[in-house]
Amino acid sequence: MAGDNTDKGRRLFLQRGWFWLKAVSFAAISYPLMVFLGFKVPRKREIVQVNRQLLAGEVYLGQDFVLFQGESRAWALSRICTHLGCRLNYSEEQKKLVCPCHQSHFDLEGRRLAGPARRDLEAFEVEVSGNDADKIYMVRI
Amino acid sequence: MMGRLLTGFCEIKWGARGLILLYVSVVSGIILALQYDFANPFYSAVAQEALIPFGSFWRSLHFYSSQLFFLFCLVHLLAVIINGSIFKMAPLKWLVVLATLPLAVLLLFTGYVLRGDSTGESAGMIAEQIALAIPLAGDMVNNFLFAISAEGMKRVYANHLAGLAVLWLICAWDHLRRYRVMLADHGLLLVITVVLSVFLLAPMEVLSPGVLHIGGPWFFLGLQELLRVIDPFWAGVVLPLFLFVLLALVRLEGRVGRIIASLVVVMLVFYAWATFLALGR
Repeated sequence: MAGDNTDKGRRLFLQRGWFWLKAVSFAAISYPLMVFLGFKVPRKREIVQVNRQLLAGEVYLGQDFVLFQGESRAWALSRICTHLGCRLNYSEEQKKLVCPCHQSHFDLEGRRLAGPARRDLEAFEVEVSGNDADKIYMVRI
Repeated sequence: MMGRLLTGFCEIKWGARGLILLYVSVVSGIILALQYDFANPFYSAVAQEALIPFGSFWRSLHFYSSQLFFLFCLVHLLAVIINGSIFKMAPLKWLVVLATLPLAVLLLFTGYVLRGDSTGESAGMIAEQIALAIPLAGDMVNNFLFAISAEGMKRVYANHLAGLAVLWLICAWDHLRRYRVMLADHGLLLVITVVLSVFLLAPMEVLSPGVLHIGGPWFFLGLQELLRVIDPFWAGVVLPLFLFVLLALVRLEGRVGRIIASLVVVMLVFYAWATFLALGR
């Protein structure tokens, strides 16, 4: 009788031990998996060169940015909507940046005007070189 | 009369037809994958459409077979709820089989994203933001499924091709292994799918900077509309999860089951209304 109990206890101990071994193994494998998948390779900073002769008031739409030429300066804004990340388009008629997905509107300085977006647009650094007849814009995105 | 119609509807082998369409979708998907480059998704999809001989046909075949597969799955689900087959299933088995539904939505959705056109790109970015809106686990979910802004289409492609497909198969395995379907028995369906793919092109939207409104995939339109006014966490996570929980509980018998079934209908009507609003824009 006492032997039976010892056997039962041993079996229970082994069963529990086996369960915990599996749980710990699972956790041990999950951790490197999560860390591996969670790591984001830092985005390579890119400088995009725009060889366009933009006159004051003209706009250039790049893949990731929109470049404006004002009277005395040029500036660039991200085309990624701060609501859910859709790519913004430029409405020539309304002189605004408009999100085609959920209709957030931004002015030409990137300030949010309307729609579900809550933040203004990210601004990018722009360097202009060359002369008036042959301008080169460098946009750091 | 109504009863006879419902019996006739339930007797149609919707599931078997869905499975045949799945076979077509998988085969055409593998063929497409051999010419797809996830580093240049839009260029790659356009090349398949316009440059590669028969690329347009394989794209269409994959698109329409996948769409039809999903629709047949939905009708199959409706039929088994109506005829009461789900009540014979063990609760856990029902839950596992039901999990194939969100997985199928994700498979369909990642397919849309992979074409990289204006709709696909935007839908992918929105899905990423919805995933990130999940408290605590958002980053992990996004890392598993999308991570488009950080990694492009890499993870979406891996999931569409393998991750989600394998998960779907695991969840459907116990259900599918009981049934045998023969391609030869579904000649008409195959012919219709092929003819559809020959004459109707799969959608593709050019990236046009002047476009001020784009609509997502048809099953995403309602959500797109809700996202205009509701927080991504509530519209994209809580509502779909709530629908899934209701579907999981719909097999309860008696009054509670009927209330849950009514709630499912209310939610679907609500979603259809949101879709209708989106279509009107």
